[in-house]
Amino acid sequence: MIRFENVSKTYKNGTPALRNVTLDIEKGEFVFLVGASGSGKTTFLRLLLREEAPDAGRILEAGRDIGELPKWRVPYLRRNIGCVFQDFRLLPNKSVFENVAFALEVIGRPRSTVESQVPQILELVGLADKAKNLPHELSGGEQQRVAVARAFVNRPLILLADEPTGNLDPANSESIMALLERINRTGTTVVMATHDKALVDRMRRRVVELDRGEIVRDQVRGVYGIDEGVAI
Amino acid sequence: MRVYLRYAFKETFTNLWRNRMMTVAAVLTVAVSLSLVGSALLLKQSAAQASAQWQQGTRVTVWMQPNASQSEIDSVKTQLAGMPIVKDCQYFTQAQDYQQAKTLLPADEWSVLTPSATPSSFRCVPTVPTDAFTVQSTFTNQPGVYQVTAPEQQIRQMNHAIRILQIVFLALAAVLLLSATVLILNTIRMAIFSRRREVSVMKLVGATNWFIRVPFITEGFIAGLLGSTVAMLAVTALHTWYPLHNEFALNTSALVGTNTVVLVVGVVIGSVGSAIAIRRFLDV
Repeated sequence: MIRFENVSKTYKNGTPALRNVTLDIEKGEFVFLVGASGSGKTTFLRLLLREEAPDAGRILEAGRDIGELPKWRVPYLRRNIGCVFQDFRLLPNKSVFENVAFALEVIGRPRSTVESQVPQILELVGLADKAKNLPHELSGGEQQRVAVARAFVNRPLILLADEPTGNLDPANSESIMALLERINRTGTTVVMATHDKALVDRMRRRVVELDRGEIVRDQVRGVYGIDEGVAI
Repeated sequence: MRVYLRYAFKETFTNLWRNRMMTVAAVLTVAVSLSLVGSALLLKQSAAQASAQWQQGTRVTVWMQPNASQSEIDSVKTQLAGMPIVKDCQYFTQAQDYQQAKTLLPADEWSVLTPSATPSSFRCVPTVPTDAFTVQSTFTNQPGVYQVTAPEQQIRQMNHAIRILQIVFLALAAVLLLSATVLILNTIRMAIFSRRREVSVMKLVGATNWFIRVPFITEGFIAGLLGSTVAMLAVTALHTWYPLHNEFALNTSALVGTNTVVLVVGVVIGSVGSAIAIRRFLDV
């Protein structure tokens, strides 16, 4: 599904963000991306969205080299990728329903689709009764569930999550993780960058650890890291 | 497509309403600037027209000696008739000139005048006003010619004054237009800046650039349209009520022309300004 071939990326200030990264992620996998701040996790995700282009190497998604996509095709690439962020990124003046519907309207789905899909997905994330509320009327956990609903409402092939539990308490983190697992079970590939040791350890999924831009560990049923207690 | 049109329409109007202070600011900027631009253009046309009309009235008069012979008079007459730069000539006999002098001069001056002492004259209209000087230099020292008068000084001064007036109005219009463009661009950019979050979310969920751009451009278009409507009203009011009299009075087609310029400029500045202002936020 996702393939990195000797990908390197250095930012303008000279900091190498990724160094010669080669990685394969199969369709339907659930992958944790771990590592200290500045280890290249976010760059990894930005490259997948083609918000950045690699300096060297190729990135393939669904068999296509995304570096060869013309600029105007990039939005179509992003329609196959859902995104969740630590800071939710909801539109503050749109209701929960509108925020989710926005993702469908923007890609030109007819209203009938919007009206059938949105309530369904809100049901899935357990917010059917908050459809009319504005984001600031919800708790952090609820806002993040809206963000997950928005990311998943057009059934993308890939779901990227950048520290989705970073702002949440353990209980809310738990419910977000349950959601992501559920989405993963539908066949969606999930890549999640996180600092949350407890979560990773409990889930026992594939763990890819980055350190200063290099992959230092790739474990099928991994934990956050043995020496983490010391490192952080 | 229909879905998108409905979306763009809805988006445009909710945004105009949601950012109504910004909208009002943009509309007012366009309105004030274009009112001034339109007024300057109108005054420029008015000045140009007055100048043209004054020049139309330019005459050159060839005064003959009171004792000029008939052959001398005939010679001047044939020459004048043969000059392509002279549009029209009328001969005033001594008697006619005497009668006119009677109406023009104070009593104590014309009382010393007799018809036989009065010069006869050719009153001519040159094709181009400045040709009056050529006529003057051609005939001044001809036999039988007393003197040739053209309102030379006045024409020169008037033309000069009006040319300066026109340049001033035009320059004023240009400067105002430039400042209007900058102000509008800035207003729209601020409006978009306050919504960059929304734009970034749109890009995130896979909106194409045109999808994002069109509602903003429509918004700029509408702001430009509203602004230029106000400006057109102001220009029309100036045309109606400002004392542009006599030679300065402009007809309706000049007003329509000016208003068309105002409308087109407003709408173009609004939509192109938006397109330029949003470009920066569409990268990535």
